[in-house]
Amino acid sequence: MSRCVKDVLWSNYKYTRVDTSCYAGVWGLMPRCGYGSNMTNGYRKPQSFGSGCLWKSNSFSSFQRHYASHASTEQKSRKMLLYLTALVFAMVGSTYAAVPLYRRFCQATGYGGTVQRKETVEEKIARHSKDGTVTTREVVVQFNADVADGMPWKFIPTQREVRVKPGESALAFYTAENRSSTPITGVSTYNVTPMKAAVYFNKIQCFCFEEQRLLPGEQIDMPVFFYIDPEFETDPRMDGINNLILSYTFFKVNED
Amino acid sequence: MSAGGAFGGNRGARPVPPEKGVFPLDHMHQCDLEKKDYIGCLKSSGHQSENCRIFSKKYLECRMAKNAQSMHSLVHWERDNKET
Repeated sequence: MSRCVKDVLWSNYKYTRVDTSCYAGVWGLMPRCGYGSNMTNGYRKPQSFGSGCLWKSNSFSSFQRHYASHASTEQKSRKMLLYLTALVFAMVGSTYAAVPLYRRFCQATGYGGTVQRKETVEEKIARHSKDGTVTTREVVVQFNADVADGMPWKFIPTQREVRVKPGESALAFYTAENRSSTPITGVSTYNVTPMKAAVYFNKIQCFCFEEQRLLPGEQIDMPVFFYIDPEFETDPRMDGINNLILSYTFFKVNED
Repeated sequence: MSAGGAFGGNRGARPVPPEKGVFPLDHMHQCDLEKKDYIGCLKSSGHQSENCRIFSKKYLECRMAKNAQSMHSLVHWERDNKET
């Protein structure tokens, strides 16, 4: 009789609440039976529970209390586990999301020298000519040329500097010479300093990003056509900036 | 700014390609004279881009004549810009 009751109660077991019926025999025995932390099992054979367990009537209430707090700590730790797991996934997810977000942030703020791109240069020129903006501040653009290690080219800017007003396009040249005895292909990359001004530096046409092949002993002029955005003058962050340095570096491309 | 090491820090983030693309290089040295005029003008006028605008236009027109397709929009751009 008591055994049947135990079966029923055990199969209906919900650890979130204490079942008051027949609790005297059933619940109080659980901690004793080494039930311990295995609360997830919905069902257990009553035999293991009924045969090897001892039951002491006078210590039932302490069992009940022990059980109740045991259940709530179990519940709390389960919640904590779920919370922490969700946190881990959230962290990993945000790491993956950081790449496009950071790129957008860089474009919006020009951080790290990113050259901004919101409208094309032609649109910008059309807009400024319509507005009738007049620029008066002269900016000196200096040029710098580098080659990577192991690249036998002589690469120098043809002119030291160009003085230009924002909104005016300017042409500049670099001269490269292949000093070796084999044809060499190079590709270049550029950078504008100071970095916060790079936002306003627009290149219309240049020789960068595409492989350029020079025959042995060949010398060639490489033009860059650029212009500085007129908004450069109105930006308060650009107040002390009158010098821009355009720097190109040539890297060797391995020919197959 | 020297922060942002992941994106190259001082070297800046990914550079943006030029508006009108790549300048086809003058391997044949056909427009050398115009280029020399321009550089000479720059040196004599204190590197003022404004004073030598006419020479840069000549150079671009020379390149366009020799290498038709790619310089077309460039010269239009230059012309529009001058009118402003």
